[in-house]
Amino acid sequence: MSQSHASLFGDARTQALKRFNLGDRAFHLITKGSALAVLALLGGVIISLIHGSAPAIGEFGFGFLTSQAWNPVTEKFGAAPAIYGTLLTSFIALLIAAPIGFGIAVFLTEICPYPLRRPIGIAIELLAGIPSIIYGIWGMFILAPVLQATLQPWLIAGFADIPILNELFAGPPYGIGIFTASIILSIMILPLIASISRDVFATVPTVLKEAAFGVGCTRWEVVRRIVMPFTGAGLVGGVMLALGRALGETMAVTFVIGNAHKIHPSILGPGTTISATIANEFTEADGALYTSSLIALGLVLFVITFIVLAASRLMLARLKRQEGR
Amino acid sequence: MNEAYSQDHDATSAEVFGGDASGFIPALPEKMSVRNLDFFYGDNRALKSVNVPLYDRKVTAFIGPSGCGKSTLLRVLNRMYDLYPGQRAVGDVLLDGENVLDPRLDVNALRARVGMVFQKPTPFPMTIYENIAFGVRLYEKLGKADMDERVEKALRGAAIWDEVKDKLNASGLSLSGGQQQRLCIARTVAIQPEVILFDEPCSALDPISTAKIEELFDELREAYTIAIVTHNMQQAVRVSQYTAFMYLGEMVEFGETDQIFQTPRESRTQDYITGRFG
Repeated sequence: MSQSHASLFGDARTQALKRFNLGDRAFHLITKGSALAVLALLGGVIISLIHGSAPAIGEFGFGFLTSQAWNPVTEKFGAAPAIYGTLLTSFIALLIAAPIGFGIAVFLTEICPYPLRRPIGIAIELLAGIPSIIYGIWGMFILAPVLQATLQPWLIAGFADIPILNELFAGPPYGIGIFTASIILSIMILPLIASISRDVFATVPTVLKEAAFGVGCTRWEVVRRIVMPFTGAGLVGGVMLALGRALGETMAVTFVIGNAHKIHPSILGPGTTISATIANEFTEADGALYTSSLIALGLVLFVITFIVLAASRLMLARLKRQEGR
Repeated sequence: MNEAYSQDHDATSAEVFGGDASGFIPALPEKMSVRNLDFFYGDNRALKSVNVPLYDRKVTAFIGPSGCGKSTLLRVLNRMYDLYPGQRAVGDVLLDGENVLDPRLDVNALRARVGMVFQKPTPFPMTIYENIAFGVRLYEKLGKADMDERVEKALRGAAIWDEVKDKLNASGLSLSGGQQQRLCIARTVAIQPEVILFDEPCSALDPISTAKIEELFDELREAYTIAIVTHNMQQAVRVSQYTAFMYLGEMVEFGETDQIFQTPRESRTQDYITGRFG
């Protein structure tokens, strides 16, 4: 019984085992290498961002974040309008897209007749696949003039007598601006929110919904009290993903935001975002400080996106704990 | 009452319900009556002119091999099948003489009268207290004190009060499987239905939890008419007064539980309860 493996199985078997072992080790190294490559890339991006923005940070310090100046001639740069525009457009876009996206998802999972589910689902995914430049062109040539002629004058007139709101919706109607960019953004992130929420809603066990119907709930009550709470964490995750996309979206926003380095009190006024500024001005940035300021803007965007991602993880973790799962 | 059934063209049913002189069915009031019920999943006929009564404040057990239509029948009784397109029922299902299958009927009101407990425990994603209060609130506006009382009564009724009274604000999902199932029973009881349907309520539970739930049935039937689908024949014997044996979508035999298990009239019933098939 105490024979060794070699004599028990013969040499051929031992050789084969050795070969397997070698393959296994190679596989291990390749996968490990791939994983490490991601970390290396991430580190490289961070280092080059910091390195590139060092001159600007050295020159302006923390004032870079709060200054509204953006003057290539005198080489005074501040990120405040771009940060403001980035956060505001994304926030308004979420405000518009999240309820509609949830609505689409609820309709698709709970109410829509089966034969229509697939076509509508595919249409939503196609909407997500449209290149952002096309949204930009459409926003610039179709949406902006329409808004300029219809919605914006109506908003300006409608809120004219209400304090605070009349500041928010002050004229003149430019057509392009923060508000139009937000609408374009909301259209772009809508499919993302809708398809993620749909997938998340689909995870609610049928029997749980039946139980709710079994105590006499209407569809609305089932969605509001069972489906939404059950999927809370997933919904937040989907919205955060959409927020991440909205924050970084460049092309479409560049077309319609107006590209003004100024914090306008009215959301109808022109503004800019971080990515729009970088895309617009990188080719014409001649001075070292100018280029460095643009890279510093990139670093700021990186940090904002990181914070959003971290916050969403934190919220998801807390929600999970609350629900006792 | 027997006349209603003896009109049946199905020989089996006629024999069960009217053809026998011994007349084992006493003149009990029927809470629900299923008459000539056919059920279709698309083109697939899952129930074939089923006739069965649910006697008021009695437990009726439905037994039979998987796929024989027991659960389907249960899901007709509170129109749960309504949620799915392509499923339809033909025939009459009477609740206190009113036809449940009437398309004009308010299904939400029906489901409040005919509650259901499922195979797997289905606590809602909310606190234990809210799990009970949620359903009650759909129909009644109760003050805090009244609601507290109703929740306690329901939890006591499902023999789970002592286990959860100190953690009413914990998530319903934090309970064990057996506790969750009793919570679901409490939830069903809380909205004061008239009929409770149990769809294999113990099949996902351990023996101790199962025993606890079985003990409940004697108490529950004092107030409610109960139908239970089960694969466990000892369970049917322990909890029910009447038993219906179904096979391939047909109601093969219905009668008092003792009679079904001791002196079944049909050879198919005999074969099933002695384990020769199914």
